[in-house]
Amino acid sequence: MSSSSSLGGHSKSLRLAGEDIWKNKTEKVNGELFTLMYGSIVSQLCRDYQRCFPKVNDQLYTMGYNIGVRLIEDFLARTALPRCENMIRTSEVISKCAFKIFLNITPQVSNWSTDKNAFSLVLVENPLSDFVELPMDAMKQLWYSNVLCGVLKGALEMVQLDCDVWFISDVLKGDPQTEIRVKLNRVLKDEIPIGED
Amino acid sequence: MAIKSILIINKSGGLVYRRNLSNDESLNSNDYLIVASTLHGAFAIASQLTPKALQLSESPLTSKIDYTIPYIPYVGLPRTGANTTEKSRFSSSSSNNLGTTNSLGSFKGSDYFKEPFQSWNKSGIRQICTDQFTMFIYQTMTGLKFVAISTQTPSSVTNSEYSTISVQIADNLLRKIYCLYSDYVMKDPFYSMEMPIKSECFDCRLKQMVSNLP
Repeated sequence: MSSSSSLGGHSKSLRLAGEDIWKNKTEKVNGELFTLMYGSIVSQLCRDYQRCFPKVNDQLYTMGYNIGVRLIEDFLARTALPRCENMIRTSEVISKCAFKIFLNITPQVSNWSTDKNAFSLVLVENPLSDFVELPMDAMKQLWYSNVLCGVLKGALEMVQLDCDVWFISDVLKGDPQTEIRVKLNRVLKDEIPIGED
Repeated sequence: MAIKSILIINKSGGLVYRRNLSNDESLNSNDYLIVASTLHGAFAIASQLTPKALQLSESPLTSKIDYTIPYIPYVGLPRTGANTTEKSRFSSSSSNNLGTTNSLGSFKGSDYFKEPFQSWNKSGIRQICTDQFTMFIYQTMTGLKFVAISTQTPSSVTNSEYSTISVQIADNLLRKIYCLYSDYVMKDPFYSMEMPIKSECFDCRLKQMVSNLP
């Protein structure tokens, strides 16, 4: 009974809440099915755009955005979390609840900017890029999991956080780690639903 | 608490969904559009009007107000749903023609959620009581409003505490309808955002949920 009131509090309970929702309240599918489905979308896009990878990145981002603006409703209906008071809290909700529920991973939050408005999500494991090896011509330009950036952008925008989200590095490109950067531009105060204050 | 109708209003104040569950149809669809946007406006005005006592006390007193909605078990789920196994849920859901094995969509377990939760609607209208009906409003963080109109009237309410309990029941029900919305409307590729909802699955599930209410 006390778990909801503690949701407002510590980050530890946030992790527990995320785990509980993932474990007991969410239906599961085979993760490989998901990975392979995403792989086939990316390879089809590469073919459609005749291996013009910047265009593929953009298209993946747009697709992600369209997913994000809808997925936020699922996330909120499932968790009913209150509004985040700052970006530190937002980063915890993203890593410990959102990524846990939908992808069953918990990215590390690091590299905070001094004004606490930008942070990095380090994906130790990335289910999207399992079984993937980029061809030579795609190595330099393609951000394989760019759909994730779009999802984050779209979902955050729906809760009135105008953010920029982009990839900094990807193990698929030979970097030591996969890192997504999230930077808050501004809180869209005018668009916060009336009745929430 | 029998529900007469369910409305969904998008964040710009437009009616995107309306379902009448009783037979007496007195308003036409245009009237409902007007009702929805008027409600949206009244909601905005209501949140601007705060009693002086609350305004003067600033944060200490207002932060003491508890917006927690207690979890009320199995609102809108089949009676047999309470503490039974998967098996009985299959049999109770066999009447619908969706042919799914899981009656809660992408949600697992015997109920959509099992914890108390915080209301997002803190200073807007949550309940309107009239001599003919009672209206309950649930607003989400994304600005969507779910409205339930029930047959409950002041004369039918004998217990003084019953009114707050029925708000809690309504919030539980409407959060579940929000769960349905996230499952059957948001995951429909043919649905365009902010437009009227025309989903048979959603319709069917919603009717089922409301008909399970006592």
